[in-house]
Amino acid sequence: MKRPVRVGAGEKLVLTANRLLDGTIVWRDRLGRWRPVIGAAEKLDAERVGDVLELAQIRAQEDGVVGVYEVAVRDVDPPEPVTVRERIRAHGPTVHPEFAVETVQ
Amino acid sequence: MSVPVGHYQYDQIDRDFLEARIAEFSEQVARRIDGSLSEDEFKPLRLMNGLYLQLHAYMLRIAIPYGTIDSKQMRMFAHIARHYDRDYGHFTTRQNIQFNWIKLEETPDILRDLATVDMHAIQTSGNCIRNVTSDEFAGAAADELVDPRVHAEILRQWSTLHPEFTFLPRKFKIAISGSPHDRVAARFHDIGILARPGDDGRTVFRIFVGGGLGRTPIIGQEIFDSVPEERLLATLEAIVRVYNAHGRRDNIYKARIKILVQALGIDAYREAVEAELAQMDLEHYRLTPEMVDAIQARFAVPELSAPENAAQELANRQRENPEFDLWVRSNTHPHREAGHIIAVVSLKPAGGIPGDATSAQMDRLADLADEYSFGELRITHLQNIVLGHVRQDRLYDLWSSLKEVDLASANIGLIGDIVACPGLDYCALANARSIPIAQKLGARFGDASLQAEIGALRINISGCINACGHHHAGHIGLLGVDKRGEEFFQITLGGRAENGASIGTILGPALPEDDTVDAIARLVDRYLGIRKDGETFLDTLDRLGDAPFKEAAYETV
Ligand code: HEM
Ligand code: SF4
Repeated sequence: MKRPVRVGAGEKLVLTANRLLDGTIVWRDRLGRWRPVIGAAEKLDAERVGDVLELAQIRAQEDGVVGVYEVAVRDVDPPEPVTVRERIRAHGPTVHPEFAVETVQ
Repeated sequence: MSVPVGHYQYDQIDRDFLEARIAEFSEQVARRIDGSLSEDEFKPLRLMNGLYLQLHAYMLRIAIPYGTIDSKQMRMFAHIARHYDRDYGHFTTRQNIQFNWIKLEETPDILRDLATVDMHAIQTSGNCIRNVTSDEFAGAAADELVDPRVHAEILRQWSTLHPEFTFLPRKFKIAISGSPHDRVAARFHDIGILARPGDDGRTVFRIFVGGGLGRTPIIGQEIFDSVPEERLLATLEAIVRVYNAHGRRDNIYKARIKILVQALGIDAYREAVEAELAQMDLEHYRLTPEMVDAIQARFAVPELSAPENAAQELANRQRENPEFDLWVRSNTHPHREAGHIIAVVSLKPAGGIPGDATSAQMDRLADLADEYSFGELRITHLQNIVLGHVRQDRLYDLWSSLKEVDLASANIGLIGDIVACPGLDYCALANARSIPIAQKLGARFGDASLQAEIGALRINISGCINACGHHHAGHIGLLGVDKRGEEFFQITLGGRAENGASIGTILGPALPEDDTVDAIARLVDRYLGIRKDGETFLDTLDRLGDAPFKEAAYETV
């Protein structure tokens, strides 16, 4: 779902999507591959995100992903999303600790 | 195959239709995967088949017509949970079930498996007439006038594949009850129907339109007091036609029938419906007694018989075992037939996730339904499960078995019987998580005796203004709001869904999660301190207004 993203001080952007076949949440790495851990995501500056996002959206079908958009993160390793929503996407539902998602590989 | 108790037995037409529909959808899924359909093209198609894309995965919502299933169907849910999901499912306030971890590529297989037990995921999404809901005590309750499920089934057949109503301005929800005690929230639906017996032995219907929750909660208004059975379909057709023709399509937030009814006024809406009826071929829409009886014949009636001393046996057990007694007091409802009782199985264990059940619990419930209730189960609009026809002298054994699988919480209608939507843990539209706060409240008030002491009190929680958790209708309602990316909760008091339907009023500023839990604990304490003998929470609220509760909730320590 697209929402306008504001980038504050000490924040960057990463790209995310869901995998078409199974819905798994994925993050775009430096080589343009979609990876299931946020730790693999390439952190982008606000100026650069537009182009990368456009390219990723064009390639979405080929890459087997759906709903590509950008997420504001704190510039740490692994990146930590700014909003609760994206933190839940990155870490898994808070009500099922057994489904927690790894954030680094 | 014998005819199932409680729901309609599919015929070949139903089965052929399902098969064709699955073949069509499998094709569409394949075309989506190979790229010949874009996501924008595919989305409305998948929604027509109950498939959503949520935060973490695809979600499949399966229709449970009028909330009734048989044990085979319940076992199929367990199978789906085990093989295609993460071993659990979520029963919803619209009497359906949702699976949260579905894979797109496996969806056709799931639908094929479902079809083997006459089930599907149609009419659970999109701007169509949604799966019709009904009274969870239908055909069993002592206070019932008419079993509404036969007419609910007729509405299913009328609405599924109705060519005119596939692209309505917005989703359309119908509920039908046959009891003077409204257990379906009839006045919070697009159309709410209350059935009663007419003088000629056929059924008569009182119809409400334009109710709904969501961002604009509105209580439905009566459009007709006494629609005869033979005119039921014509009348509904005319009501939906007027909406289809005049409902707004320019603004998604103003597209529900409630907005149109408000804009026109109920009298003008009624006139428009009457004008429509006047030019319809009424003979074509006539619901004849023969048609109704033919549908009725495809429902089996349970053969009820109980020993003379069944009630005495139950009373003895209750005297011997206080824990059982507490459960009987909260989790049963009088049955129409002597020696029988309706048992409600709570899916709200203290600290658990409201409405979730594991595959093992589903299998066990199916077995217990076979053993104690003619293989029939109902899903309630408060996210619990009902076994409708239990012999009183066997209730203790049922309860003992439920305890073994952690399904014996004694809290129906009490503060622990919390209704919550999936919220931000799953839902792409949410502002806040509904489940964790439900779990904290459930744990805080988990003790069965404390709950019995507090008495009737409903908490409803929605993660956003769409109100899937019916917070407007909760005695205490909680609405998740987003304050600069953080989760806050707005408290409302005084909502109710039953006969005197009303919408809760906002108590004060929204609070963070833990403060909200504390505020509710103080508010409940205050109620216990100021109530008069025999008063429920709503009684005290009605008598004193919300000032004392506001004071308690926002008291800073
Ligand atoms: C998880 C995915 C879900 C999504 C995306 C979703 C979406 C929505 C939306 C957009 C509305 C507002 C409709 C309007 O006002 O026009 C709504 C209302 C509603 N939903 Fe959901 N919902 C979801 C889950 C549920 C669940 C799990 C339940 C049952 C527990 C449910 C039951 C309802 C009910 C009862 C209403 C309000 C009644 C009305 O239509 O006015 N929904 N939903
Ligand atoms: S109320 Fe909002 S958060 Fe809850 S399920 Fe509905 S849309 Fe999602």
